[in-house]
Amino acid sequence: MGQTLVFGILNGALYGMIALGIALVFGIMKYLNVAHGSLIVVGAYGSLFLFRLGVDPFATIPIILVALFLGGAVLFLSLFNRLIEFPEATKIKNSLLIGFGLMLVLDNLATFLWTGDERSITPSYSGITFQIFGLRLPLIGLSGGFLALLLISVLHLFLSRTYFGKAVRAVSQDHEAASLTGINVGRTFLISFAISVGLAGIPSVLIGLQSFSPTAGIQWFNKGIIVVMLSGIGNIYGVFPAGLFLGIIEALSVFLFGATYREVTGLVVFVLILILFPRGMLGSGAES
Amino acid sequence: MLKIESLNVKYGDIQTLWDVSLEVNAGEIVALIGSNGAGKSTLLRTIAGLLRPHSGRMHYNGVLLNNKSPNRIVELGISMVLEGRRLFPKMTVLENLEVGAYLKEARVHRYSTLDWIWEVFPVLKERSQQIAGSLSGGEQQMVAIGRALMARNKFLILDEMSLGLSPLLVKTIFKIVTQINKAGLSIFNVEQNVPMTLRTAHRAYILESGHIVGHGEARSLLKSPHVKEAYLGLS
Amino acid sequence: MKIPKKIWIPICVVGLAASVPLLTKSEYFVNLLVMLFVYVTLSQSWNLQGGFNGQISLGHSAFFGMGALITRLLWMSKIPILLAIIGGGLSSIILAGIVGIPCLRMKRGYFPIGTLGLAIIAQITVGNILPVPGSLPSEYIVGYSLSSRYYLALSVAIMGVLVVYAVVRSRTGLALVAIRDDEEAAEAVGIKTFRYKIEALLISSFLAGLGGGVFAYHQVSYYYQSPFELSWSFLPTLTTFIGGLGTILGPILGSVCFLALNELFAFTLGEIHLVIFGFTFIMIVLFLPGGLMSISNKFQSPLSMKMGWGKRMRSIF
Repeated sequence: MGQTLVFGILNGALYGMIALGIALVFGIMKYLNVAHGSLIVVGAYGSLFLFRLGVDPFATIPIILVALFLGGAVLFLSLFNRLIEFPEATKIKNSLLIGFGLMLVLDNLATFLWTGDERSITPSYSGITFQIFGLRLPLIGLSGGFLALLLISVLHLFLSRTYFGKAVRAVSQDHEAASLTGINVGRTFLISFAISVGLAGIPSVLIGLQSFSPTAGIQWFNKGIIVVMLSGIGNIYGVFPAGLFLGIIEALSVFLFGATYREVTGLVVFVLILILFPRGMLGSGAES
Repeated sequence: MLKIESLNVKYGDIQTLWDVSLEVNAGEIVALIGSNGAGKSTLLRTIAGLLRPHSGRMHYNGVLLNNKSPNRIVELGISMVLEGRRLFPKMTVLENLEVGAYLKEARVHRYSTLDWIWEVFPVLKERSQQIAGSLSGGEQQMVAIGRALMARNKFLILDEMSLGLSPLLVKTIFKIVTQINKAGLSIFNVEQNVPMTLRTAHRAYILESGHIVGHGEARSLLKSPHVKEAYLGLS
Repeated sequence: MKIPKKIWIPICVVGLAASVPLLTKSEYFVNLLVMLFVYVTLSQSWNLQGGFNGQISLGHSAFFGMGALITRLLWMSKIPILLAIIGGGLSSIILAGIVGIPCLRMKRGYFPIGTLGLAIIAQITVGNILPVPGSLPSEYIVGYSLSSRYYLALSVAIMGVLVVYAVVRSRTGLALVAIRDDEEAAEAVGIKTFRYKIEALLISSFLAGLGGGVFAYHQVSYYYQSPFELSWSFLPTLTTFIGGLGTILGPILGSVCFLALNELFAFTLGEIHLVIFGFTFIMIVLFLPGGLMSISNKFQSPLSMKMGWGKRMRSIF
């Protein structure tokens, strides 16, 4: 049981990281990027490519980070930039549609280029596990958890200590007022979007180390959005706990009911929580 | 400093400002009075770059303001306090002020500016770590003005400062406006509270249904029969 | 007596459509049209809620899928197909009632997200519990008549259009549009907005369920989770967008365009047709946010705020 919990926690950390990118973009500019999962899969392919060239997967992380950052910037400028001026309801709707189109493009391009086969990155240390208190802790999973912690800390420092971080928070709370303090709101949106996509580089590689296929993107997005809704839309800091929560629930359900109903249990709990706490478990819009 | 000529502004298909012209010179406090819906906010938002005019020109110290983005206009020297305060509700007072000093020049000097802000608004100094959303209306208004001042600009636009404030606070705010003006800022003050506004301003314009229908020395406007009847409830 | 255009044109179109199975031997073409009618039913159902009431639902795949699922199950249990389809429609209403109504209670603008979540949950759940294809048993296949399916699909589509037309022309329709244009004003005038939004949701989901039922009747073998896929949620949105939100013709035009484009791309481009399709989709959303008809005024920012692309780029850099 402890073993399943461990896996649940590590999975949860992964879910949290995926959800983070989604939550950031939505919290700051009210876009829901349905293609986030597909972008992660693209990153995984990138990491695989570099791995085949001899680069250690964890070393590919910075490269994929930068690549996704640049890709995100391009996507923002070409697609999502136009939506800035629209009222919130339209922004959400249009961003959903554009995201869907983007997902179609990415998924099918990937299938076309790299076939529908499932892939995975298998470095020499894939199977290494540590034994602590009778629990097997996989090296890769642990590293993932560690990176997740690192990610939250860096993000927190960035948002609270740096001027640009403050600008991002200001823009997400009132972008009109922010523009009147001299903040270039358009540029802030651009960089925030690019960062959000770039940060997906970490879950990207981690997923690469598990397994992925060209059309897997939407499944990761699904996990991500459930976590976002669990934590309360607009609540960035709640995303990780919510991710862990989902991971643990899933793990518990595997333990109790077997693997078949893993997803369903998570969803049932999710729906129950949504009914009980329409604003998400951890409160809505806590400081972002 | 600020010169507006024949400004026409449309909101969708509806025209809200008709041929508006006005000026604010260095060191002045110029007021704009008018009732609800007269178009005052539209005018201010157009100057600030949040709305685009249909025609007409706006200049600040000779530089054309039309079609520039809001943050650029702040860079050019105009700071504005929006109607309804519009603080960043989840950030502290100090953080709100810091964001006000976002521009390079302002950021470098922000600590000395902050000292001045604490002088002008002593109440805020105690509350510097408090979350902005939890402050009272009057305190929020002070933060809003303080934030605009952090940009160290020489021109300040105020949109309905006195809205929702108690008479005592209104008096305080207007005193602060005079204080800021004495410190060297030119102020364009847009208000519904006519008596106090006309007493603190040097000159004033009257906006009705999108048209400038009068202007002159603030003192004389106070005495004008039209103003007395329309805005002071006297006849 | 002069018959107005409004009446005889649709009648001619319907007459034409009805004669298709008699005029052509091409099964491909007939199947294509069946799918078209399914698209029209689904899109028109979505349009009632999204186009006329302003509530953009991304959960219609759940209603569509539910209708398909229940219809299929009922039909396999020897219940006559017409009843099975109605059963499918009813099951969609029930689903809409249970999960759709809470979505309507969400914060303004979040309804699409809530319904999207619903669609995702439905898809995952069905995929988890029934990951298998449902195939017609042989006795059903032997008696499979494409033309009866064709006429059923056509009738359901016509019915869908007529129902939406009737609702839109009624007092309910007036209320729905008022809510769409300015919900607060509608409230202020005394319109019970929540009640009308629910009405739109329920009627819409019923029609979507019927569409799903037709789909289930038509398909010989398909995965139970397939009509729950998100693309079935985005499809009615896209077709109505192209054709024109909040118009009766919109979903019909849009469905025709969509189908034509899809087939065209599939033929000419082969493997990457979905890539091009997705790209076209994006272009349409970006450049035709109002669709071919211009109902979009409500959604556009004040004209004075529109910035050209070049200007926007420059202001960022």
